[in-house]
Amino acid sequence: MKSVVTTVIAAADAAGRFPSSSDLESVQGSIQRAAARLEAAEKLASNLDNVAKEAYDACIKKYSYLNNAGEANSSDTFKSKCARDIKHYLRLIQYSLVVGGTGPLDEWGIAGQREVYRALGLPTAPYVEALGFARNRGCAPRDMSAQALVEYNSLLDYAINSLS
Amino acid sequence: MVLDAFSRAVVAADASTSVVTDIAALKSFVAEGNKRLDAVNAIASNASCMVSDAVAGMICENQGLIQAGGNCYPNRRMAACLRDAEIVLRYVTYALLAGDASVLDDRCLNGLKETYAALGVPTTSTVRAVQIMKAQAAAHIQDTPSEARAGAKLRKMGTPVVQDRCASLVAEAGSYFDRVISALS
Repeated sequence: MKSVVTTVIAAADAAGRFPSSSDLESVQGSIQRAAARLEAAEKLASNLDNVAKEAYDACIKKYSYLNNAGEANSSDTFKSKCARDIKHYLRLIQYSLVVGGTGPLDEWGIAGQREVYRALGLPTAPYVEALGFARNRGCAPRDMSAQALVEYNSLLDYAINSLS
Repeated sequence: MVLDAFSRAVVAADASTSVVTDIAALKSFVAEGNKRLDAVNAIASNASCMVSDAVAGMICENQGLIQAGGNCYPNRRMAACLRDAEIVLRYVTYALLAGDASVLDDRCLNGLKETYAALGVPTTSTVRAVQIMKAQAAAHIQDTPSEARAGAKLRKMGTPVVQDRCASLVAEAGSYFDRVISALS
């Protein structure tokens, strides 16, 4: 799993050397930024279900055709799967906040994403709408501190970009 | 897979498709971050000295190693021994930096016992060298190398220390050395 620390270790290991002072500086930099990330991760975890629900509702409201017979949100099973998918993205974003890099999103969300949605005949626009809604819904200092919100939003942007 | 304390929490949470809930533990990892970096620096800066002392100590206690037929005779095999001790110490340092033993397990210990068995390396001697490095690491992390043991080579990091500084880090580093020992025996 890619993070600042594991990247530093992989590079040091490839060269067969002990962690150098510049390696330690990089880790120190990541640690300094960690407070905001962890705050965002904590706040998101405490309210993940609601955030996901609102985002899901927003995208179904915009793309109401998805409720038509045969479409992706037409049955209860489909609805719960759609809501679950949104929740998956938010969970992976929480993981990425914890790790301090996009590793979890890349490895467990984005890799193969396009192929899966094509195979299942799912449109990606509703996902973009859902994550875009979450992107604009967060508010500092109501939900979290400004810096934490920046970290959270940039990961939402990253996920949105991967889908569009 | 190489993990750190953060990605370890993520992989554990993913196994049950839940969010990471124990943020407090990670926050304390961050709060103690500078101590950890100091500890890594203390080991990395003294690594070659630690390695040569540990191997020399191991040989001191078992002179047979450097007599004909011993595993540190001739120089070629002694050099291999020094190299291996450095490799072990290096992976322990990586594990200490990451706050997770996965890099040590994956890249150093996996198959090490079998390799040593195949090469006829005596594990009791290896374990002894690792034990010495464990004690040295504890002394360097706390910046309390003793004159009695280090003699003329005594060298302190000079970082400002309080008496129990890094007790948890000393324990953590010790646990990685113990991991090496139990993987070999």
